[in-house]
Amino acid sequence: MPRLQELNALETERRRIVDSRQAYTTTVLICSGTGCQASRSPAVIEAFKNQLQSQRLNEKVLVRTTGCHGFCEQGPIMVLEPEGVLYCRVAPEDCREIVSRTIKKGEVLERLLYTDPASGQRIPKEKDIPFYRDQDRSLLSGNRAVDPRSLEDYIAAGGYTALTRVLAGMAPQAVVEEVTASGLRGRGGGGFPTGRKWQECREAPGEEKYVVCNADEGDPGAYMDRCVLEGNPHRVLEGMIIGAFAVGAVRGYIYVRKEYPLAVQHAKLAVQQAREYGFLGENILGSSFSFDVEVARGGGAFVCGESTALMASLEGRVGEPRPKDIHTVQEGLWNKPTLLNNVETWANIPGIITNGAAWFSAKGTAGSKGTKILALTGQVKNTGLVEVPMGTPLRKVIFDIGGGANNGKPIKAVQTGGPSGGCLPVGQFDLPVDFDALAEAGSMVGSGGMVVMDAGTCMVDVAKYFLNFLQDESCGKCVPCRIGVDRLLEIVTDFTEGKGRLEQLDLLEDLAETITETSLCGLGKTAPNPVLSTLRYFREEYLAHILEKRCPAGVCKALIQYAVDQEKCTGCGDCQRACPHGAIKGRKEEPRLIDSAKCQKCGLCFSECTFNAITVA
Amino acid sequence: MVQYVTLRIDGSIVKAAKGSSVLDAAIQYGICIPHLCHMPLLEDIGACRLCIVEQVGNGKSKITTSCTLRVQEGMVIQAHSEKVRRLRRNIAELLVAQAPNSRAIQDMAVRCGVKEVRYPFRNADCVLCGRCVRYCRGLAGAQSLGFVGRGKDRHVAHALELRDLCKHCGFCTANCPMSITPCAGPMAKGEEHLCGGCEAQLQITQGMEDQCVWCELGKGFDCSRHLGQ
Repeated sequence: MPRLQELNALETERRRIVDSRQAYTTTVLICSGTGCQASRSPAVIEAFKNQLQSQRLNEKVLVRTTGCHGFCEQGPIMVLEPEGVLYCRVAPEDCREIVSRTIKKGEVLERLLYTDPASGQRIPKEKDIPFYRDQDRSLLSGNRAVDPRSLEDYIAAGGYTALTRVLAGMAPQAVVEEVTASGLRGRGGGGFPTGRKWQECREAPGEEKYVVCNADEGDPGAYMDRCVLEGNPHRVLEGMIIGAFAVGAVRGYIYVRKEYPLAVQHAKLAVQQAREYGFLGENILGSSFSFDVEVARGGGAFVCGESTALMASLEGRVGEPRPKDIHTVQEGLWNKPTLLNNVETWANIPGIITNGAAWFSAKGTAGSKGTKILALTGQVKNTGLVEVPMGTPLRKVIFDIGGGANNGKPIKAVQTGGPSGGCLPVGQFDLPVDFDALAEAGSMVGSGGMVVMDAGTCMVDVAKYFLNFLQDESCGKCVPCRIGVDRLLEIVTDFTEGKGRLEQLDLLEDLAETITETSLCGLGKTAPNPVLSTLRYFREEYLAHILEKRCPAGVCKALIQYAVDQEKCTGCGDCQRACPHGAIKGRKEEPRLIDSAKCQKCGLCFSECTFNAITVA
Repeated sequence: MVQYVTLRIDGSIVKAAKGSSVLDAAIQYGICIPHLCHMPLLEDIGACRLCIVEQVGNGKSKITTSCTLRVQEGMVIQAHSEKVRRLRRNIAELLVAQAPNSRAIQDMAVRCGVKEVRYPFRNADCVLCGRCVRYCRGLAGAQSLGFVGRGKDRHVAHALELRDLCKHCGFCTANCPMSITPCAGPMAKGEEHLCGGCEAQLQITQGMEDQCVWCELGKGFDCSRHLGQ
């Protein structure tokens, strides 16, 4: 494809692509995001294409391998359009029948349909599935429309029209004002008003400016950015080009963590395609604006998601944060004004330009506008990516979209915002997904991770898990974060091992405040949040650990004892065979006994017993 | 020509060269802000966090390290507010619990008002202030020492284990706050305690905590005022 030399050429190209696809009567979307790839979607795609070939339908049916749809729980996902039929957990062996029956005869294969766990009904259409029905997928729907490896798909879906609109007649300042008016706030965790950041960067003195896309997503359980960059890389790129135009940047970087190989691959391919088409490089689309982007791969440090650490890493130095008394919009990458935004933030930009700021700000609450992608994981039925308007209550996300608890135990809390966020109890589930409301409750929207926990979760253990994570991922530069978080972990570990003392609770709170106030970067400043929020809402669990040396959820190994209920035990011996430590004794057909001296509390007997005869106390 | 700005530190009107740090300005005016990782002529990294101050303005206050904070016209700094002193004491407590076998750290703990240590002592050999690393890279121009590892595993080592980059200038050792043991000699494992022996030195300063009286303690932790001599 030759470079597009003028703005009008894009519309001509778009029409050409759309026309060339008129012959297709059906489009089949097969998800090839990381989640579905793990459940064998590449094999499904190959089998499906072979079937189309042998049943002579390959000229009628367009197969589109897309990025993540978000319904990872049910992958591999296949959607047949225009009917909108959704098949889940598709296996390569199913493809022959899908082609011969569904595509040829229009019959729906019952066994591949999604079954609603609440009603037990099979639901044929994608749009009727409760998981999708209650969402507003203005960003994620883009993933369905394009093959991330195809720029043609993106153009056919209306891509790069926002860029042509900007280049055709918007002044840079007008672009900034549009973003400001939309009320968009940073999606990476901080929630800083994007427009204000753009304005500050635009006003910062200096000829050489940079834009950076932060794709170093590292929160446990969060994968929104991965999904957007893997599934729709051109959208992110388009946002970046518009941002560069607005602030006057000459060069951009996409910083992707190396643990996302598919995202790295797709981002690199997208940059290369955009260069060939003339969306990047000298004189973009024949205008006087020039800009280019490079993809940089992170080295695997969580802290490199912090803006100054990311920039240090981009410069080739050790990824450590520096004090932010001077903001990165003034002195960022190579001490030049730098505009850094998160993947999801960038991806929101083309929509704001195309549909206008009012369209965007019509959704959401007073302080938080638009939609937000959440990564719903943990003990819920429908895990996956959920996009909802800001202001949606947590309850709706967890119970209506997520489908509620997945193994019968009642839901107890949700951990929002990753390691920097906090745990909110069921009593707080009426809180909206809103930057300010969640912060006030001691948690945060953060990048959008949402880990749902049920009654089998010990909140002290959760706090310990996150402290362990942060202690490991702290860069170690400043004292409060390196030593302070380690001391927090030491104290919480004491609690879980039954060595806790009551006065340590005060120390925990005192130390937490010191870390929050005095740490160098955002990682340290928010590190005590998991402890503080669990302490705020689940203090009685801490007290049970400290005063009664008891773990109410039966998780902390040092505080629990496994025993055999002599009434219920049938003497089947399953537990005895499962025990790797030889701690279970007893004769055939007689109730067994656990030798507590030998028991290592691995819990294998508990999960092995079919009669609920093993008790934890 | 050097341009000057005027700011307030603990109520005093201070005139300082544009581009200089709040910590330097304070020390020059005899206002004592405890510090460990800061050394004159070396790049400041804000690692020890002892020199924290409260920057007041617009009805808000923000805690930040004075070594990395550049002076600005009209800035209002509280270097010894109750909050700052409490936080500073907690940081000094973390440090002394980590490395009780250093006279400098013990002195610092006393200076910051640490009266008890609420954590088990650890007896580490290094508090990662990075003076050696920065001296090596900065003034010595040797690039021999560097930080290796992350979080708890962070330590000072020869970069890529290349020992021959070292110029044997010895300043890494000379600048190390860990090289002098407490006056009564090194504390054995299990016997670590808060020394507190130098508390007598504080008699004069206690009533006027923000005044630099050129205390003897300053020598222990290489206060810039002493180094400047």
